[in-house]
Amino acid sequence: MNKSVISYIFLFVILVLLQALLMNHIVLFNSAVCFIFIYFLVKLPVNLAPNLVLTLGFLLGLSVDMLSDTPGLNALCCTVLASLKRPVFFAYEQHDDQKRNMAPGIGTMGILNFCKYAFSISAIYCLLAFFVEFIEFTDILGILIKAGASTLFTFLTMLAIDSLVYKN
Amino acid sequence: MRNLLNFIIKYSTWFVFTFYVLISCILLVKSSDNHFSVYVSSANAIGEAIYSTSSEVTDYFGLLAVNQRLQESNARLESEVLNLRQQLSQYQVLAQDTLPDPRAKRFGFIGASVINNSTRHPRNHFTIDRGSSDGIKPGMGVVDQSGVVGIVDVTGKHTARVISLLNQNQHFSAKVKGTTFVGSLTWRGEDPSVAFLEEVPRHAKFNVGDTIVTSGFSTTFPEGIDIGTVMGKVKTTDDTFLVLKIHLASNFKTLGTVRVIKDALKQELDSIKSIGTYE
Repeated sequence: MNKSVISYIFLFVILVLLQALLMNHIVLFNSAVCFIFIYFLVKLPVNLAPNLVLTLGFLLGLSVDMLSDTPGLNALCCTVLASLKRPVFFAYEQHDDQKRNMAPGIGTMGILNFCKYAFSISAIYCLLAFFVEFIEFTDILGILIKAGASTLFTFLTMLAIDSLVYKN
Repeated sequence: MRNLLNFIIKYSTWFVFTFYVLISCILLVKSSDNHFSVYVSSANAIGEAIYSTSSEVTDYFGLLAVNQRLQESNARLESEVLNLRQQLSQYQVLAQDTLPDPRAKRFGFIGASVINNSTRHPRNHFTIDRGSSDGIKPGMGVVDQSGVVGIVDVTGKHTARVISLLNQNQHFSAKVKGTTFVGSLTWRGEDPSVAFLEEVPRHAKFNVGDTIVTSGFSTTFPEGIDIGTVMGKVKTTDDTFLVLKIHLASNFKTLGTVRVIKDALKQELDSIKSIGTYE
């Protein structure tokens, strides 16, 4: 077993537990929710086999669903997010061989590019999650406010965690 | 054959993607009547282990509020017991020869603690720390010290998932206390302290502040359990029915201890009901 594989497994478990036990119970201003578990997808190396990324994304979503009683919701959104991760990453980064093996982060991408990348990922996820969950509602503005507030909350938490890891 | 294999390998990512999306959609759409959903609910073994451990810690945070509410409900019950005892002693003189009424012992309670809870989804559930081994079955009603909170949905061995009253797919039969005006109580996915009583007859009489209680038409809840109070009438386009805005009695954000209602006559009543249907 590779050392980084173990650290990814560790990250997976910690993030799922953090989401289920803490983040699911924090709702700021009655609309902002933090989906911190997608930080796992953010951190996966870019050159990982697409099938493996999809599988990990699906399992991540399913684990969170299991603990939050939202069967299918996060599994669906995580699978879609996993498929969009690469295009989003290369929208801000050059295709060069050095960067292919790395795990995206402030240390490897620089603060500005990481912010753009993490913000896009959060925005995609929050929009997906709220539209899928509130699909029957006609209140589009309400959904957009919720998704926007949650994007900001998720992005800031992700940035805080990544800068802590980077400092160490 | 080789071409087919090449094709599958070339587009394997698409196949994998479609497969996962399909599974997710099946779970999403058929979440309530799917056998597999038992395994992806918080009532499974992993959820049980995680949430019972975490609730051992977090239960302490709400103790003060829970204690206060218990004291209030204790005081209310004590005064009720005194009143009833007084009435009973009067009736006992009159009814010494009558046989005891079996209906008096129809409903029993099983105490439980809420170990996981949510109020932010359009379809909320919570998990309690009692399961099938404690006699809990799907379809049983759940109340807390203030009023109705939900109906048991999925049971694990030592945990059960409950459909919260804050679930827009679940309707509860309710009425204005002291009248026969029955309606269907629905939550519309906004404020966790507000629900709506729909399909109330146009001629129903009510005042703001009136209590809304269970109707007792189903075997899930006995008649007369508090649900909330009337806040006012809602304007609708439908002329035949009224919609009332209800302030819910229970605080769903701080659910602590609840009781599951066991109806001794449930099986009997349900079997009678099913005789009349030919579907």
